[in-house]
Amino acid sequence: MKNGRTRLKLGAVILLLFVLEFSLRPLFGESPIAPDFLMLALLVYAIGTRPGNAAVAGLVVGLIRDGLVPDAFGAGAFAHATIGYLAAWSKAVFFADNLYVNAALFFFGIWMRDVLMWLVGRHAQGIEVLWQLGYWTPLHALTTSLSGVLVLLIFRRWLHVRIGE
Amino acid sequence: MKIAPERFASRRDTIAFILCVVLSLSARLMPPTAQDALSDAIRIVMVPAIWLQEQTALTLEARPLVSLLTAQRDSTALDSLRLYILTEENSQLRELLSLAIRMPTRHVAAEVLHQASPLGEYTLLLSAGSDDGVVDMAPVIAPQGLVGVIRTVSASTSVAVVWTHPDFRVSAMTADGTVFGIAEPRGRAGLGTVLMELRGIPFREDVPIGSHVYTSGRGSHLGGAFPRGIPIGTVRALAEQSEGWSKTYVLSPAVQPGSVSHVIVLLGADDDIAPAFEPEDP
Repeated sequence: MKNGRTRLKLGAVILLLFVLEFSLRPLFGESPIAPDFLMLALLVYAIGTRPGNAAVAGLVVGLIRDGLVPDAFGAGAFAHATIGYLAAWSKAVFFADNLYVNAALFFFGIWMRDVLMWLVGRHAQGIEVLWQLGYWTPLHALTTSLSGVLVLLIFRRWLHVRIGE
Repeated sequence: MKIAPERFASRRDTIAFILCVVLSLSARLMPPTAQDALSDAIRIVMVPAIWLQEQTALTLEARPLVSLLTAQRDSTALDSLRLYILTEENSQLRELLSLAIRMPTRHVAAEVLHQASPLGEYTLLLSAGSDDGVVDMAPVIAPQGLVGVIRTVSASTSVAVVWTHPDFRVSAMTADGTVFGIAEPRGRAGLGTVLMELRGIPFREDVPIGSHVYTSGRGSHLGGAFPRGIPIGTVRALAEQSEGWSKTYVLSPAVQPGSVSHVIVLLGADDDIAPAFEPEDP
């Protein structure tokens, strides 16, 4: 069980990522590889909490995304809730508390989120899907993952992340 | 692989996840109108975040606009500076033209090709030369008064020594022609301003502050350069008195050579040209 101070620090990091999503990300314009700070906030939260909580957080993040970009309403909620749950569950079952493992988690979390959104939303077709999931999404996942590593390095003491192990 | 059994998903987690999935899929399968209503509600809740995003977007859009506005402002400033220079030049030309019309003696107008620096240049390169009738020792004047004297003449240009030259001297008199002396340059009163002094004034004579001083024309029949009546400057203060013999007055010069762009070179120097400098009747 986390104590109050740890929760406060985690909350501060998530709030920072939330603010970055709406203040820093627009500076990248329409670039499809701009870091996804909202998803990063969800995954940072997921690696430190129970799967059920992460699923609920994912649902909230997904609804926010669906509300702001209503391409396929509900698809984002489903994808984020699923990724939140799986990230927290797999982190608890399989993964060590390690920086590189977390970086990989960010990368595959983004990629799988996009796959799930496509499966449920079906808002893209044909060759566009291949380009999106085979090229743009990995690049997007890479930039987000690098941003996540940076956040973990900066806030490693607050988030209790081990660097070397 | 590290196993953390205490963090395995409990039944509560599984139920929460299933509920989330059901809710999200329900949202996906809702009628479009209900989805739009829900989207609107979410956007209302997210107003602060949307506002933040709008501000960032505005900043992003404003960046090239700021560069554009800065460039436009700089261009406007440059244009206004050019306009000021043109207005100044135009004013000088008008005054010169007016003086040329009133000038009773032969003369030629010339452009100053090399502006005198306010901090120590003593010569001006003029665009008129011997082909225009310019001769050595011809007086050079501006609409306000005395500028200098021609020193070197070539076919199409000439070089004038301006009155700021340390060796420059000109015989001077007051406007009523009762007091005579020698005018010459005198130090600096401030950056870019060179003063003159009127030396050799008899001790018994008083020249009131503010009196205008003109060239006296004395000696022109003996080879002197300047005709009578060219404004030299205005008496500013009494500088010194030497042992009951003479007085020296400080003059504010009529012309600062550094600001002159066009001049008149006098070719016939025997007449009294003071009337040409008198203000025109409106």
